[in-house]
Amino acid sequence: MSVGFIGAGQLAHALVKGFTSAGVIATQRIIASSPDTDLPTVAGLRKMGAILTTSNKEVVNKSDVLFLAVKPHIIPFVLDEIGPDIEDRHLIVSCAAGVTISSIEKKLLQYRPFPKVMRCMTNTPVVVREGATVYATGTHAEVEDGKLLEQLMASVGFCTEVEEDLIDAVTGLSGSGPAYAFTALDALADGGVKMGLPRRLAVRLGAQALLGAAKMLLDSELHPGQLKDNVCSPGGATIHALHVMESGGFRSLLINAVEASCIRTRELQFLADQERISPAAIKKTTLDKVLQAVSKVVSQIAPYSPPPQ
Amino acid sequence: MDSNLRIGFIGAGNMAYGIAKGVMQSGDVPPSNVKVSAPSARNFGRFQELGVAVTHSNAELVSSCDLVFVAVKPHLITTILSEITDHVTRKHIIVSVAAGVTLATLQGLLPFDTVVLRLMPNLPCLVQQGALLFSRGTWARQEDGDLLRSLLQHCGLVEEGPEAWIDIHTGLSGSGVAFVYLFAEALAEGAVKMGMPSALAHSIAAQTVLGAGQLLRDSGKHPAQLRSEVCTPGGTTIFGLHAMEQGGVRAATMTAVETATERARELGRKSVPTATENRK
Repeated sequence: MSVGFIGAGQLAHALVKGFTSAGVIATQRIIASSPDTDLPTVAGLRKMGAILTTSNKEVVNKSDVLFLAVKPHIIPFVLDEIGPDIEDRHLIVSCAAGVTISSIEKKLLQYRPFPKVMRCMTNTPVVVREGATVYATGTHAEVEDGKLLEQLMASVGFCTEVEEDLIDAVTGLSGSGPAYAFTALDALADGGVKMGLPRRLAVRLGAQALLGAAKMLLDSELHPGQLKDNVCSPGGATIHALHVMESGGFRSLLINAVEASCIRTRELQFLADQERISPAAIKKTTLDKVLQAVSKVVSQIAPYSPPPQ
Repeated sequence: MDSNLRIGFIGAGNMAYGIAKGVMQSGDVPPSNVKVSAPSARNFGRFQELGVAVTHSNAELVSSCDLVFVAVKPHLITTILSEITDHVTRKHIIVSVAAGVTLATLQGLLPFDTVVLRLMPNLPCLVQQGALLFSRGTWARQEDGDLLRSLLQHCGLVEEGPEAWIDIHTGLSGSGVAFVYLFAEALAEGAVKMGMPSALAHSIAAQTVLGAGQLLRDSGKHPAQLRSEVCTPGGTTIFGLHAMEQGGVRAATMTAVETATERARELGRKSVPTATENRK
C-alpha cells in the first residue's frame, strides 16, 4: 500500500514523521507533492526518505491512500486538477478544516461515479505519535476504508470515527488544542521564571506537569474535578492558585476559545462552499504556482480574478 | 446512652428549639428529661408543645441537668456563664452554641476543669437538616464528643474538628445557607425574566436546590461529576453553565466563603473579654 500527500507542509510532515516512527508504512512508499520546493517541511520529508515531486498527478498515480494536506481554499483547485486521475482503488482523505465531504464528492463526481472520500481532523502532535484524530466516512467509502484509515491514524495517536457534523467542534477542541497548551506552557514558564527558575528548567517542568496531568486523567476513571481536588490540600498553595485562576475567568476563557475556533471553522467552511476566496487569505506566490500547475493540465480554468466585493 | 441523661437549654431561641427537636427525635431522650430556661416566657410555647419543662432560673437548670446547651447570643455569654459557674460541677458537660466565642473564653469563665464543647450549627437545624461542627475543649474527652454526636445525629450532619475549623464552617455552612438563598432568588428571577410567574418560579427554585442538594449528598459523587452528567452535548445546561463561568460565579463563591471565614476569625478575636475578673 502506498500513501500520497498532496501538499508537503506542516501537516504532511507531521503525519509522515509519525507514520514512519510507528513503522506502519515504509518511507519509500510515501510520496508528497508541493509547488514550492523551498519549504523546510519539504526538506524534512526528503530527509525522512519520502519521494518528493512537484506533480500532483504523480502523487495520485503512485498512491492508494491519498491525503489532501493543503489549505482549505486550495482544495477545489486540487480536486479539479486530479479528478481525471482518480481510480477505483483510491481512498481520498481530506484533512482540510471546514471542507465538507459533500463538497469534495460533488467535485469528484464530475470525473468518477463512486469516489471514496473520507474527512479527518487531526492535530500536530501526530508528529510525536500523540495525535488526536477523528474521521467521518463519505458516501462511497466502505467499512474497510474506515478501518484502514483508523489503523494508519491510530499508529500516531488516538483515532475514532465521528459523525461529520461534529468535526468543527473537534477542530475547536483538539485541532486548536495544542496551541492553547503551548500558550499555557509559555505562560507557566514565565511564572516559573518570575519566581526564580531558569527558563529551560521552567519550560521542561511546565511541559512535564501538563503531560503528567493529561496522562493521569486518561488513565483514570475519575472526573478531572476530582483529580483537581486530590491535588489541593486544605489551605495549601494549590487551592490559593486555583482561586486566582477562577477569579481570572480561566474556565470561561477556555470555553470561549473552543467556541471561537469552532465558529471560525464553520465560517471558513461557509466561505469555502461558496468558493469565495479572500485575497488576503492566500499567499500570492503559492496561489500563482498552484494556478500555473493547474493551468498546465486543465487549460479551461478561467484566470484568477478577485471575487466581487 | 444513659436514658436518665438530662438535657438543658439556656436560651429558648431558634437554635435551641431546632437542637431540642433533633435531640428528642430518636426517642433516646424523653421530653421529661429536657428543660429550657429563658428570662421571659415568650418563646416557651413551642417547647411546651414538645413536652419540655421550662424555667426562668439558669442556676436551677444547670443544677438539674447533666448536659447543658448554652444557646444565647454571644454578647450575653459572660453574664450567663458568670451566673451559672458556681453550679457547674465536674459531672457537667457544657456545650456552647455562641458564634465567635472561643473555647478559651468559655473555659475561662467556668470552673477549672469543666468539660466544654463548642458547637457551630446552622439554620436548617430547624428542619433537622443542619450541618453541625463541634470542637472539644481541653477537658472534654472522646466519649463526651461521642455523646454529643449521638445526641445531635437527628439534627443533620454532625462532624467533629479542631477549633480552627469552626470559623471555616461558619463561612461555608453558617453563612453558606444565605449564599444558597441568594442563588435560589437569582434562579427564580431568571425564570421570571423569561416569563414565569414569581410564586411558581420561587417554589420551583427551592425544590431545585433541595433536590440537587439531596442528590449530591446521597449519590456520593463529586459535584463536578454530577454537573457533567446533566450536560448533554450542545444542550441547554452547558450553555447556561458557560454563562455562569463567564460571570465568575466560582471565584465569587470562593471569595464569599473566604470573606465570611475571615470575619468569623476577626469576631472571635474581638470576642468576649477574658473574664478572669469575673471568676469567683
